[in-house]
Amino acid sequence: MNKFDDQATQSLLDKNLITENQYQEIKAYRNLNIFSLNAELKLFLYLSVLLFTSGIGILIYENIDTIGHIAILSILLIVIAVCFYYCFKKSKGFQKTETVFESPFLEYLVLAANILTCIFIGYLQFQYKPFGTNYDLATLIPTLISFFCAYYFDNKSVLTIAITGLAAYIGLSVTPQDLLHNDFYSNETLSYSAIILGGLLILWTIYSSRTNLKTHFNFIYLTFALHLISIASISNLTDSDYDGIWMLFGLVLAASSYYFYKVSHETKAMSLYVFMIIYAYIGLNIFFFRILDLVDFSGIWELFVFMLPVYFIGSIVLFIKLIKNFHKEITE
Amino acid sequence: MIAHDKQLLDDLALLEEANSLQNAGFISKEQKDLIKKQLPDFKNQKYILVRLGFFLLGSFLYGSICGAISIVGMVGDELYFKICCYIFAGVGFAGAEFLANQKYYGHGLDDAFILGAILNVGFAIGITTDGYELIIAIFMAIAAFVMYRRYLHLPSLLVFCLASCAVLFYGLFEFGEIGKTILPFAAMISAAGFYFSTKKSIHSLTESYYYNGLLLANSFCLILFYLSCNYLVVRELSIMLLGNEILPGTDIPFAYFFYAFTLIVPIIYLVQALKTKDRIMLWISFLAIGFSIYTIRFYHSVLPIEVALTLGGVVLFAIAYFSIKKLKEKERGLTFKPDRINHSNALLNAEALIVASTFGMKPGVKPESSPMEFGGGGYSGGGSEGNF
Repeated sequence: MNKFDDQATQSLLDKNLITENQYQEIKAYRNLNIFSLNAELKLFLYLSVLLFTSGIGILIYENIDTIGHIAILSILLIVIAVCFYYCFKKSKGFQKTETVFESPFLEYLVLAANILTCIFIGYLQFQYKPFGTNYDLATLIPTLISFFCAYYFDNKSVLTIAITGLAAYIGLSVTPQDLLHNDFYSNETLSYSAIILGGLLILWTIYSSRTNLKTHFNFIYLTFALHLISIASISNLTDSDYDGIWMLFGLVLAASSYYFYKVSHETKAMSLYVFMIIYAYIGLNIFFFRILDLVDFSGIWELFVFMLPVYFIGSIVLFIKLIKNFHKEITE
Repeated sequence: MIAHDKQLLDDLALLEEANSLQNAGFISKEQKDLIKKQLPDFKNQKYILVRLGFFLLGSFLYGSICGAISIVGMVGDELYFKICCYIFAGVGFAGAEFLANQKYYGHGLDDAFILGAILNVGFAIGITTDGYELIIAIFMAIAAFVMYRRYLHLPSLLVFCLASCAVLFYGLFEFGEIGKTILPFAAMISAAGFYFSTKKSIHSLTESYYYNGLLLANSFCLILFYLSCNYLVVRELSIMLLGNEILPGTDIPFAYFFYAFTLIVPIIYLVQALKTKDRIMLWISFLAIGFSIYTIRFYHSVLPIEVALTLGGVVLFAIAYFSIKKLKEKERGLTFKPDRINHSNALLNAEALIVASTFGMKPGVKPESSPMEFGGGGYSGGGSEGNF
């Protein structure tokens, strides 16, 4: 702990900004000299789950021909069964509101069980093809299981797996590192599916707020929806066909930006607000650029360069205003 | 030397304290708002995401100003190219000074101008000296240090630390073979020296606004100390710099020392961190332990990767399990109970993001059944999940 925290508390007291009682309380707490390893140990649990499941995944992949399939499957099944047994035994059952396990381990056990289940089904499909060539079904079933676990055990990490599964089912990759690599250019239907999926996720958050069903999950759904819709429409804004379809995507982006502007104020979510602004700004710039593109500028491009600093100063002033307003509104 | 108002800097410390006290539940929100109204404040950004956004915008602005100047300057072509970076650096200094006068501190815009100025100093010296690394590093270190002293800008202090390392390295290269051979030891000794001197200055420090800077330099020394004699770093550098071919069956000189160093130092860090309750050192020790394991595995494949991962998971789980069991009931000192004042929850919020990037499902011909996707990478994806 650093001595300046104490000094700061002291001078808050000197300036009469906190009461003597509060000061004593704070001092007593500081004197306990607490050094909490809460976050660190939880992170260890978390890493252990990631390492273990990655290890199992590779183990199966490498030894796919050597160990008996039945042996692998039955070991996996036993581990999964044990994990789920503990989770179900200790859980308080399904609740509509946010719940936490009393023991810190179970949250991570749920995650491990869930990932192992996904590996199990994937392996089963690879080896025995119970779903035939219907690969969609092989994605959908782990997704459904993940959704069930996420809602039953109230686990955000599992929920993100479930959402990526849902997106994979319609042919999208929404893991953070791949979100930009979806091929929206050559595949227009993919863009439509992305926007429709984003819309459905938004509808689901509206439904769950109405019925008070796990409203703390809404932030995750909205984050996925925002990025999906915005990236899909921005990629199509740069579409070089002059059939005017990009205008349509511009409208979609405008509509979604407006919606997220409202919703980020309601949920007081800074990150939604900031990303909404960034996407809207990129979209707007592309829009301006395309309009300018129609006009011939070759003669006066120097003027254009001189205008740029002014343009950026203008945008900075605008952004500072926007962020300030947002701060004011969420603190009220 | 400091461009900012000292009264404001002191008040900033009080505001931060009030913030953390409110989060800890010692004072009410109304009280914090009252405190906030009473104390004047900088224009600063607490949200890292917003700060990054402003940093980007600031860089655009900086770049566009330089572009506009270049259009005028291009008339004097050859000469202009030689001096353009000095002019750009001047723009950066002017911008930083202007923003400091407007009470911008840690806002993102000021970051863009300060870092841009340092970078342009580097380019300018590089063009003048035809890319002489030692001189570039010296001037960048000076520029970065000036920026830190004037604007108390932590990222420039980091640049200063890195540039000083570069000065040490390139300085030793001037001595030829001998310099390159003693490089690890020189780095180790200077890291240790600066570690203790910064530690001493932290103890005798009276102005709170220098605390973070000294802490950063102090932690940087810890990392440099570990890396300077890490076996992997030394061996790869000696191949790169000295052109030593290491034949099978032979090893680098002092190999045992470097191995021992790689293994022992992280443990010392860990024990010391737990003893002195130093969270930053604790995290450095975790990272160092991870890197030591990587170092060993890099040269000796003790176990096949999949077994290592699985066993590693089990061992880590056991460590966490028993530590939690042991610390669960403790009320003071080392404990598992979350600290009311300093909680590092931001990390736990990033969990969902990490899971999504490592285990997210991907569409494909063979969905799900390609566990190769499941490589344990992608931990760098942490960061801002925003506020709930």
